Amino acid sequence: MNVNKNYGAFSGYFAVFGIIVLLIGVAEIIVSLTGGCFEYGPLIVCDEEDFLIWRGLILLFSGLFITSSVNNMSDVHQQAKLVMGNIMIWLVGGMALLGMILGSIPGPEDGTWFNTFSDLVASYGGPYMPSLVLLPFTVIPVLILYRTRIRGQSKKN
Amino acid sequence: MLSDEQKWEIIDNISGKTVTYGEYRTTIKDAVAEITVKPLTGIPIAMAVLYGFWSFFGAVAGFFTDGFFVKLFGGSETFIGIIPWLGEQLSNHQSSLFKIFIGDPNVFLPDYAGDICFEAGGVLTTGLFVALGVVLPAIFAFYLFMIFMEDTGYLPRLAVLIDTLFYKIGLHGFAVVPMILSFGCNVPAVAATRNLETEKERFMMMSLLAVFIPCGAQLGVMLEVVPGYVGMIILYLLLGFFVFGYVLNKLIPGRSPEMLLDVPPYHRPRWNNVRRKLWTRIRGFLVSAIPLMLLGVFLVNGLYLLGVIDWLADIMTPILTGWFDVPSETVAPLITAFMRKDLAVAQLGAIEMTMSQLITSVVLVSLYFPCVATLAMILKEGWQHSVKEGFVFLMGSLVALFVVIFLWGGLLRWILVLAGV
Repeated sequence: MNVNKNYGAFSGYFAVFGIIVLLIGVAEIIVSLTGGCFEYGPLIVCDEEDFLIWRGLILLFSGLFITSSVNNMSDVHQQAKLVMGNIMIWLVGGMALLGMILGSIPGPEDGTWFNTFSDLVASYGGPYMPSLVLLPFTVIPVLILYRTRIRGQSKKN
Repeated sequence: MLSDEQKWEIIDNISGKTVTYGEYRTTIKDAVAEITVKPLTGIPIAMAVLYGFWSFFGAVAGFFTDGFFVKLFGGSETFIGIIPWLGEQLSNHQSSLFKIFIGDPNVFLPDYAGDICFEAGGVLTTGLFVALGVVLPAIFAFYLFMIFMEDTGYLPRLAVLIDTLFYKIGLHGFAVVPMILSFGCNVPAVAATRNLETEKERFMMMSLLAVFIPCGAQLGVMLEVVPGYVGMIILYLLLGFFVFGYVLNKLIPGRSPEMLLDVPPYHRPRWNNVRRKLWTRIRGFLVSAIPLMLLGVFLVNGLYLLGVIDWLADIMTPILTGWFDVPSETVAPLITAFMRKDLAVAQLGAIEMTMSQLITSVVLVSLYFPCVATLAMILKEGWQHSVKEGFVFLMGSLVALFVVIFLWGGLLRWILVLAGV
């Protein structure tokens, strides 16, 4: 089996994914400059959040990295760009997830030490930052890509 | 005796037996290493890493401080709290002992609705809360991420990336190490300036980081006191770092050589190394900073009781209110800042003032003077060659400092007016 063919299936996925990430980045930059809130389904972008413009710029560049990496994906430099684009999403979304998890554990101010189970579960209810929703879309394809690469290498050897 | 030809023959023989030749295949790790140092791709990646650093710092420090230490010290519905409990132990709330060790008696009145943790002001109350409840979690979060960056090999890449920018102000990429260390604590950062080659670079870096870079402890307290403005304050201070760096580079004679850096490959951090480094740095904080912090509160409370702070406030009022537009009560935190800047920021949170005055005061505390530990370290580093050199170091730093306080501190007042804060 040709290793290059394995990437063909993913390049379309990453092209679409990269454009979505890029658009979210642009939306966050626009909201941070114009103010207000933008809600779409479970997603929310609000100018009250800290460092929104910084986050928007990171997602914009991440989207550019991912979309620019879909051409000739068998090239290791392109794959590196793809990996870094996804890591950038993790640096934004992963930290938001960490903040969400850590924020859900202690009880309310002036209240109990720890949250009750129902409050803990409720704290994971939406709306969510878009970068948080992007996280699962970065994990699965990267894992598949990695496995395909390993399989391709072992067949070559 | 072997001739050159014979030596080369032996070398060829050995290398023929030991070295295998082939085409090197670039791995993903190599390619990632490459794109993290190229400015076009490296700068956006650096932006993301620093965002991750900052978010991690805020999330972890906030988890411990707001989630648990505020309740432990201030109390909650189900728990009395260390500070109210200490208030109950001494019956005479007007005694000097109470005012120094426990704090302001008004805070312990039944109808008091303010933030008891920051506003009590005693050695054993606010002093301990800031040291253990605010600064310790901040230091833990900061060093954990910092060590991770060091041990993965990202930090030298950041040095390469930032080299061009630093070179414009007479420094080079290695300056990023003391700069980032300084965001944790200025003391090891001053020691880390030894990796800069010339005296000019070292003097510039020490002066700039002591004045413009807030330490991790101070950042932790800033997150509590002015949570929405910390990013803006850091940007303003960093801008000052580069503006005054540029000016110092033009004024100070000496050379700034270019950098040649061997960048190590990326590797997975070893948990044992991370744990050991983290413990060494936290132990350093526990041993050196906490006693100083408590001593700082003790001295300021003592000066309050003796009337020295009020006297100083009277003298300083024209400058503080006229030039900086901050209340005269800011004098006390400015004195504390000499001992511990983090504690000084905490004290600012207890003074009644507008948001713009609070922001200016927080910036003034950063600019005003290096804390005593940093000053001692600067003197030690400056004095290591000769007394004359040390004296020049000290005088130069002080002159730079006064110019910075008046220009950069005063300018902020007008920027905040224009920004409508």
